[in-house]
Amino acid sequence: MEYKLRKAEPRDVPDILRLVKELAKYEEMEHQVTLTEKELLEDGFGDTPFYHCIITEIQGQNSSEDPKVVGFAMYYFTYDPWVGKQLYLEEFYVMDEYRGLGIGSGILRHLSNLAMKTRCTGMMFVVAENNEPSVQFYKRRGAEDLSQEEGWRLFRFDKDSLVKMAAPSEE
Amino acid sequence: MDFSIRAANLDDCKDIARMIMELAEYEKVSDHVKVTQKDLEQDGFSKNPFFHGIIAEVPEQHKTKEGHTKIGYALYFYSYSSWSGRAIYMEDLYVMPEFRGKGVGKALMSKVAQLGLAAGSHQLNFTVLDWNKPSVDFYLSQGCFDITTTMGYHCMRCEGEALKHLAQL
Repeated sequence: MEYKLRKAEPRDVPDILRLVKELAKYEEMEHQVTLTEKELLEDGFGDTPFYHCIITEIQGQNSSEDPKVVGFAMYYFTYDPWVGKQLYLEEFYVMDEYRGLGIGSGILRHLSNLAMKTRCTGMMFVVAENNEPSVQFYKRRGAEDLSQEEGWRLFRFDKDSLVKMAAPSEE
Repeated sequence: MDFSIRAANLDDCKDIARMIMELAEYEKVSDHVKVTQKDLEQDGFSKNPFFHGIIAEVPEQHKTKEGHTKIGYALYFYSYSSWSGRAIYMEDLYVMPEFRGKGVGKALMSKVAQLGLAAGSHQLNFTVLDWNKPSVDFYLSQGCFDITTTMGYHCMRCEGEALKHLAQL
C-alpha cells in the first residue's frame, strides 16, 4: 500500500477536522472540540497562518478511487528564550486501522528534518500521562518528559479568565 | 509606584537578555541559557518574528542602583489549539525582585491577555515550575488552572541527538 506525505491544502480542511475529532474521541474529549472548518481555513491558509499541517493520504484499491486522508500533524513554531526556536507539535494522529505501517514514524521523520532545516533546537509537544502507548512511542524515540524531570506544569487561562485579566484595573 | 507597560523594540534586547538571565538564575538553571542579545534581535525583530515582547519601565527617579529603568518583561507568541483554535502562549514573565508586589506582574499579564483577545485567542497557556510556590500561588489567584495536574498533560521535548536520530529513521 502506497502512502504519500504532503503539505495540507485548503481542500483538506474537512479531513483535518474529521481527524481532530477522531483523536479527541480517542482521548475521550470529543465534546471539547469547538473548532470549525471556517476557523481552520482562515487560521491555516490566510495571510498569517497560526498553524501548519501535513497530511498522509493513501491511494485507494482502484486508481479511480480518490486518495484517503489517514493521518496528519498540526504544528507551529515557538520560542524558548534559553535555547531559541522550537517546532511545536500540536496534534499528531494516524487512523487506527492504518497504524503499524510506519506512517507515524514517517510524519515524525519529516517534522524532525524540518525542525533541523529551520534551525530549531528541539521539537516540543504535550502528552497525557495516562496515554501509555503514546508516552512509550515518544520515550522510545528519545523524548524527555520535562514535567517529570524538571517539574514544569502547564497552566491555562480560559476565555472568561482572559477577559477578566484584560480588563483595566480598578486601582 | 509609577510604571509603564509598552511593546518591546530592538533596543530593549540588551535588557531582555539581562532579565532572561536573572529569571534563569531564579529558576536555578542559568547554565541552560544559550540565546544571546543578537539572537533575540534576529528572532524577535526581523520580518518573521518568533516571539513578541512587552517591557515594564519605571521613571528615572526609580531606577535600580545599576541604573536600570526596564524592570520587567513578558515574552509571548501566538499558538493554536486543535480543539479551540487561536491561542496565545506566554513564554516568560519576570519582574525584578525589588519591584515586586506593586502590580507590575499583573499589568504585564493583563497586556498579554489584551493582545491575545485582540488577535482572537480563546486561551492563554504557559508553564510554571512546580516548586515555584510564589508564582504558582500568583497565577492560581488570577483564575487559571493547572492542566498538568487536572488533565495529566506532560510537556515533552525531543532535542539534540534524539532529534537528529528521529530525522534519520
